[in-house]
Amino acid sequence: MSANRPGSGEDTGSVKNGSMERNSSGALLDIRDLHLGFRGYTGYTKVLHGISLSINRGQRVALVGESGSGKSVTARIVLGLLQETRTARITGDVEFQGNDMSSLNASQRRALRGTRMSMIFQDPTSALNPVFTIGYQFTEVLRRVDEKLSKEAAYLRAAELLHTVSIPDPARVLDAYSFQLSGGMNQRIIIAMALANSPSLLIADEPGTALDVTVQAQTLQLMHDMVATHNTAVLFISHNLGVVREFADRVYVIYRGRIVEEGATQSVFESPGHAYTRALMAAVPRVTGGGIPDIDDESADFHDPCFTHDSPIAGTES
Amino acid sequence: MTPVLRLLARRLGISLIVLIGVSMLVFGIARVIPGDPARIALGPNASTEQIAKLRASLHLDESIFVQYGHFIKDLSRGDLGISLYTNRPVTTDIAQFLPATLELVLVAGVLMIAIGLPLGIWSARFRGRFADHIIRLVSLLGVSAPSFVWAVILMLLFAYYLPLFPIAGRITDTYTIESITGFLLIDTLIAGNFQAFLNAAWHIVLPAFALALSGIGQAARLTRANMIETWDKPYIEMAQAYGYAPARIANRFAFKPSMIPSLTIIGLDFAAMLGNAFLVEAVFAWPGLSRYGVAVILRKDLNAIIGTVLIISAAFLIVNLIIDLLIAFLNPRIRYSQRDVK
Repeated sequence: MSANRPGSGEDTGSVKNGSMERNSSGALLDIRDLHLGFRGYTGYTKVLHGISLSINRGQRVALVGESGSGKSVTARIVLGLLQETRTARITGDVEFQGNDMSSLNASQRRALRGTRMSMIFQDPTSALNPVFTIGYQFTEVLRRVDEKLSKEAAYLRAAELLHTVSIPDPARVLDAYSFQLSGGMNQRIIIAMALANSPSLLIADEPGTALDVTVQAQTLQLMHDMVATHNTAVLFISHNLGVVREFADRVYVIYRGRIVEEGATQSVFESPGHAYTRALMAAVPRVTGGGIPDIDDESADFHDPCFTHDSPIAGTES
Repeated sequence: MTPVLRLLARRLGISLIVLIGVSMLVFGIARVIPGDPARIALGPNASTEQIAKLRASLHLDESIFVQYGHFIKDLSRGDLGISLYTNRPVTTDIAQFLPATLELVLVAGVLMIAIGLPLGIWSARFRGRFADHIIRLVSLLGVSAPSFVWAVILMLLFAYYLPLFPIAGRITDTYTIESITGFLLIDTLIAGNFQAFLNAAWHIVLPAFALALSGIGQAARLTRANMIETWDKPYIEMAQAYGYAPARIANRFAFKPSMIPSLTIIGLDFAAMLGNAFLVEAVFAWPGLSRYGVAVILRKDLNAIIGTVLIISAAFLIVNLIIDLLIAFLNPRIRYSQRDVK
């Protein structure tokens, strides 16, 4: 399904990204010693205890950990969303394309979002606004970069981009609302939207977790191909190790707000160093023993659930 | 048939049934309350024969079912009967007094939407901050007192102690404006008399505000609550992740989905103003349907009571119909509520 059509997506490709690259280390995103805490009624809660993470251009990096480990807040700090929450206390350096995010004000951070970095959310259907057409939302995204883009031109461009994510009838989809389309279709739209402006960084927060496994696999493959076409780096947030292994070049394992292990995907999976990584891997459900479980054909408890009792008298065994 | 047309047809059908029900109810109630309309109309010196004659001409000596039959027969010809109070056809009376009331209610409705919704949006956008606290306090105040109390307060403050606005009436007597639509704000413009238009607008400010205040409060509170609920939706975070300006996210991406549940209540509020207008009109001596309505109720002027109630009900239903269509327009999930999309 995930036909990759490099030709149509490349014209806006990585043209404008190049000039921004003045980081000596070559890292697109560089997070150093990031701390985060929230002030609440019950006091100060620390969420991140000094995270360091870096992503090179075009690199696919996975951030893996259990729920509540701090994956999503890290993504929201990179996007500059959490900085606008008044209860959040953030320290540490986040450098994106050589710019220190903490030195930017809210509107400068906003200018980066949707243009040079974008995000894909868990559930594509609820991430699309139900009262605006796909076309409206898509053209709005395109206008983030080119405000003077005419309506017709924006629609044409959107249709073209939908075509690159294997949507067969873009004109119909553009006129539709998210609730009229399938989850897989919406996910394709979200991927096309996220890459429409050829951002240099894409943050994917457990993409497609709400979809069924087959569709999720298809759309992940599509995303994989699309980011390669656009030369977009990805910060891939997931708890699904199987998917991570397929998708990422590099893995960071996060546990309770700390990075406990990092390295190339291959080496982390082959020889996990930290006990938590091993525990995380052990948590992946596996089919063992070659097929169905080992149970005697005539074991006493095997047939129990199959019986229907004719008489309701207690203690009567059939 | 498109879903919207079907919705319209269904709503019209329901409205008609409601109107028939209302007519039966009012017809019954008006005849059950004690007092003989004919005797009240003719006064204490009327002879028994005169009263009997009037009763016969009003069909009052027949059974209530036959009377209702007469009423429906007349109604189908657009005849609501003669008012015993003004001795004119009820339709003529209503045509004279209704526009003033409608004008007041419409202006109040516009105020409710034009002030209430932005207040709600602001409040939601800056929730927990100073502006939010002020707006919530003010809107709670607006909701917590009935409009006739506001009418008295506003009149005392801004017409009596601070004579910024006229104390009563629709327009200063020196202007003579030919009645075309019955809406002074429109008639003055048709007449090209801008001075008179300003005068009429100046007169309508206080009564319209008094009528609108509780609606403004209600609209602001509803909009705030719905917007805050919408704010937690993933599509708002998505809009933030795409870097749209906060004002645009609030006014467009969050407001439109939030508006849909609020609209029904706002429509009901709007319709409720028709009833509240009676008391506000009384306070500001507004020459609308209220004075007529109160007078005919006290005189047990059967035809006029039924006519007034029916007109108010019809206006109520029309407002609700418009709101339903508006919701269908705003909410694609209603517009495409059937399977055959495209």
